Amino acid sequence: MTYMSFIKGELLTLLRRKQDTVNALVFFLMVVTLFPLGVSPSPDFLSVAAGGIIWCAASLAILMSVESMFKEDFNDGCLEQWLVSGLSLPLLILLKTFIHWLVVIAPLLVMAPLLSEMLFLPSETFSVLLITLILGTPALFLIGTIGAALTVSLRHGAVLMLLIIIPFYLPVIIFSTGAIRAAQNSMMYDGQIAILAAISLVFLVVSPVMSAISIKASIN
Amino acid sequence: MHSSVSLKVSNLWVERSERYLCKDMSFFLSSGDIAKINGENGAGKSSLLKILVGILRPLEGNIHYNNEDVSVYRDLLQKDLLYIGHDSGVKSVFTVAENLRWYFPDANDDEISLALDAVSLSGYEETPSNQLSAGQKRRISLARLWLTEKPLWVLDEPFTALDIKGVASLEKHMKEHVEKNGMIILTTHQDIDPSLNLKEINLSL
Amino acid sequence: MSWTWFHKLGSPKWFFQFASRWALASFWSGVVLLLVGVIWGLGFAPEDYQQGNSFRIIYIHVPAAILAQSCYLGLGIAGFVFLVWQMKMAPVFIKSVAPLGALAAVIALLSGAIWGKPTWGTWWVWDARLTSVLVLFLLYMGVIAIQNSLEDKVLADKAVAVISVVGLINLPIIKYSVEWWNTLHQPATFKLTEAPAMPIEMWLPLLISSLGLYLFIAGLAMLRMKTEVLNRERRSGWVKDEVLKSGV
Ligand SMILES: Nc1ncnc2c1ncn2[C@@H]1O[C@H](COP(=O)(O)OP(=O)(O)OP(=O)(O)O)[C@@H](O)[C@H]1O
Ligand SMILES: [Mg+2]
Repeated sequence: MTYMSFIKGELLTLLRRKQDTVNALVFFLMVVTLFPLGVSPSPDFLSVAAGGIIWCAASLAILMSVESMFKEDFNDGCLEQWLVSGLSLPLLILLKTFIHWLVVIAPLLVMAPLLSEMLFLPSETFSVLLITLILGTPALFLIGTIGAALTVSLRHGAVLMLLIIIPFYLPVIIFSTGAIRAAQNSMMYDGQIAILAAISLVFLVVSPVMSAISIKASIN
Repeated sequence: MHSSVSLKVSNLWVERSERYLCKDMSFFLSSGDIAKINGENGAGKSSLLKILVGILRPLEGNIHYNNEDVSVYRDLLQKDLLYIGHDSGVKSVFTVAENLRWYFPDANDDEISLALDAVSLSGYEETPSNQLSAGQKRRISLARLWLTEKPLWVLDEPFTALDIKGVASLEKHMKEHVEKNGMIILTTHQDIDPSLNLKEINLSL
Repeated sequence: MSWTWFHKLGSPKWFFQFASRWALASFWSGVVLLLVGVIWGLGFAPEDYQQGNSFRIIYIHVPAAILAQSCYLGLGIAGFVFLVWQMKMAPVFIKSVAPLGALAAVIALLSGAIWGKPTWGTWWVWDARLTSVLVLFLLYMGVIAIQNSLEDKVLADKAVAVISVVGLINLPIIKYSVEWWNTLHQPATFKLTEAPAMPIEMWLPLLISSLGLYLFIAGLAMLRMKTEVLNRERRSGWVKDEVLKSGV
């Protein structure tokens, strides 16, 4: 096993399991749809709430797709093989997270124009939405990885994972929607964007290490 | 031929679920040895193997590989290691050949079909592994033994779910491996060919 | 500096003896101070010229909120200590203190609600401090949930340590984000975050009740940790001696 064959394997798995990714995206779309139906379809409300709606839906969809990230590897004994491969476990985890991020975020970005139209997001702020998605979602994935690693040995770990991870998502959601809001009011939003990037960077360091500790503790 | 290897375990204490599995255990193995860990179900054979390969941590004790201390980091040992555990390490989304490529990205088609031939899986290259039986899945992970260059094999019950012919062929292959200076540590509840010259290791309590 | 205290702290036996000596003392002195501080604050301290009597809730709310935060800080540090040095007492600390921290957060939330009614006219406002405490409460519930869900004790210890450390790293970010978010949405006139400028008659009882609550919770924590230590070390010789000695 090498890093290269690991990456290939992950891509191949995601390709064969593309329905999982599709599910996450459909789920995302569904949550977004709930807001006009459940609260109000008026453009006044939606254009103000658009950033928040998209971000909340994206967080939930990401949680869904990350939750089972290590489950199969755990059950079929491949996690054990990672551990004895002599390769660096944090690096393997980071690679896996990155690949998952790419595969989920790319279609999400493609869907973004559609959604921002549906939610009446002013077109000037669309680019801000994209920037926050690109800079903020890595943090969501990285934090989610920790939760997935912690609950990998549990058969029904999904709810537990949501419970422990969602509070950690709050700053990302707050600053992303804050940036979008600021842009809508023609205010500066560089600060929020910088903080988003900083949070993602912090978890780029913290997450692989913590996930590796959790995975090692889970395998026995 | 592999360059010669040695493994020294000294004063190993293993605890699991608040129970000692072995106390103050020591043994030494070198190239050409096939070691069999003895013990009934739940005695701690798998746990011991996992400790040797670095999946679990012992309570105390030292492990030296080729006279280097690997008690804390097993990197040196893992460089030479092929480990097959209770779980097959076979991905069900991959085909049989893809599974082997995951472990051996450099292997060419000939080598892979030779290995599959050796475990009587030839013709299954493109079959998705979730369509195989338990014994056939076991054979996929065993096929790695025919592709590897690693001198140290740690095998947890390699013979389970294998038919008689499969057992014989694996025994023959293991014999060739130790003749080439390799080392094997295994557990099994089956009787194996006495000509293999097993070194027996008992979990000491 | 000598590190013996650090190693002693890590020894369950040493801790047990320490806690046996100090737990009850800490608990009862905490109760007394808490009573003094709260009665003084509620009954005798002068009222605030802006908020009138309703500000008096800070004699309960502020200590509880600060305690909830300190406990989480404690969890994070203990988690770090456990991950780096494998100190046996650290997971015992986390397991025993997390519910107490959650309790402190609940007290802070309830007292905040009681304060909110006369001040805002509603039981709940999305005040920066109240929101932070709410999130803190959720973080505690996460720690408690994972502690109780993982059956493998070794794994559970590691997992709560990991989540506490990640929480500790995240706590300043969360606090900062909530405060920032709050200024965005609520240009508030009264905030629980900033206590009014206080003369000594006002903050002295606050100090006393805070100290009291800390001692009270420290005492409770030690009692809980004692039980946990006994349970974990039940196979070791000193626990058997302890049990024989106390004649249970
Ligand atoms: N996942 C686990 N969590 C906690 N304890 C475990 C776990 N797996 C095994 N144990 C404990 O470790 C002991 C040794 O288990 P191990 O798997 O090493 O036995 P073994 O000798 O390989 O048995 P078998 O012959 O059945 O494969 C068991 O008795 C059990 O109490
Ligand atoms: Mg076994």
